[in-house]
Amino acid sequence: MTYGQVAVVDNGGFFPESDAQQDVAWFMMDAMRTLGTVAVGTSEKELRWGIAYLKSQIARAGLPMICSNLMELPSRRPALKPYVIEKVGRVRVGFFALMSDKVDLGPARDSLKIEAPDAVARRTVDEIRKKGATVVVLLSQLGKVESEDLVAAVPGIDAVICGHNVPLIQKGRMVKNTVTSYGGEQGQYLSRTLITLDARGHMTTGDNESFILTPEVGEKPEMAKLVKDFEDALNEKQRKAEKERAAESVAAGQQATDHYIGADLCIRCHAGEGKQWKTTAHSLAWQTLVDAKKDATADCIPCHVVGYQQPGGFQTSADALRLGNVQCENCHGLGTRHDDYGKGAQVTEATCLKCHRTETSPDFNFGKYLPKIAHSNTSGETIQNMKNKVSPMMKSSGSN
Amino acid sequence: MKELAPRVRLASVLALLALLALVGTSALSDTIREPDKLVILSTTDVKGKTSPCG
Repeated sequence: MTYGQVAVVDNGGFFPESDAQQDVAWFMMDAMRTLGTVAVGTSEKELRWGIAYLKSQIARAGLPMICSNLMELPSRRPALKPYVIEKVGRVRVGFFALMSDKVDLGPARDSLKIEAPDAVARRTVDEIRKKGATVVVLLSQLGKVESEDLVAAVPGIDAVICGHNVPLIQKGRMVKNTVTSYGGEQGQYLSRTLITLDARGHMTTGDNESFILTPEVGEKPEMAKLVKDFEDALNEKQRKAEKERAAESVAAGQQATDHYIGADLCIRCHAGEGKQWKTTAHSLAWQTLVDAKKDATADCIPCHVVGYQQPGGFQTSADALRLGNVQCENCHGLGTRHDDYGKGAQVTEATCLKCHRTETSPDFNFGKYLPKIAHSNTSGETIQNMKNKVSPMMKSSGSN
Repeated sequence: MKELAPRVRLASVLALLALLALVGTSALSDTIREPDKLVILSTTDVKGKTSPCG
């Protein structure tokens, strides 16, 4: 089925989690603008470099970022546009956005205030309706429960996109007269809210479903190229920064009593374990980053090497031969603490969860995964699984 | 290293590229093909992820 009335929105929380990735922030804003995003919500993440930075980037990118309850001090005027009304096909759709008044605004905390979401929502919905919007959509950064409570209490909201640590729920539901979306995070999902309209453009029914974006889902080649070119350039930029950091880390590592030593030293005495390790996907972890051109991307490296930026650990790609891949010390701890192994130091689920997190390893199950890499298992099944799961499309793009 | 399944290729900004597959071709056209339907495509909390690591 084909629909002519489509609006693309982002709910906010799209800024990166590292201060070193400001480039990613502006790239994403440009990309959303290019994609024709009609409204973008705001979370405290977008304020990590302050409101002045955010405003300058909004102006530069021309992105319709909104937040209804983020106020400037002392004026108490909205810091950003409080809402937008877009004509989508024949329908006038009002989008407004809310942040939780419980979050820390970071560097913006002295210049901004978040007003109570409930009161602002009532006021804003009235205003949007009076201006002719027949459909009202809330971009909510209130979390799941608070979002649901709000739309149950405030009449006139047709759809709510729930964000801020909200788990993926594939099918949305109706909360009173509002259809909800729980679309999952980190760009792995796209959520579709389908609103049926009456002759006057008002909602009669609502439905929502979220989709995981597997390789089978189509993409625009020109957009994929834009992202790939940006990522490659960012990787190279981070490689230079990495070298500068490395000199300091090496000096610190030389002074540290406890430090990483690398698998070569372990294998001198644990040859059997070393041989078995080479039959596991852990022993190929670094190469997957190289293939994806993420070998200088700080977000990715820690789970593909030994002791990233730690004393004696991996500092730059020059260390890859000795400290690349998931090695002995990733699971068993620092080599210089070797004597602790016999005193109860075990590989626990917490050990694995440092890297096998929901967003990176959604199927991870400690009970099932541990036997696959146990030193008694020489089947090579994890490497075989890895090869089987790489689709031809993925191989050609160099991504996973 | 993470397990590779399910193979999530698209992330963040690329997520929106899926809209053609999800709403049909010419989805962004102003042409009203199903005038009684409105579709909102959304992402949330992308957290700066542009694609998986490797």
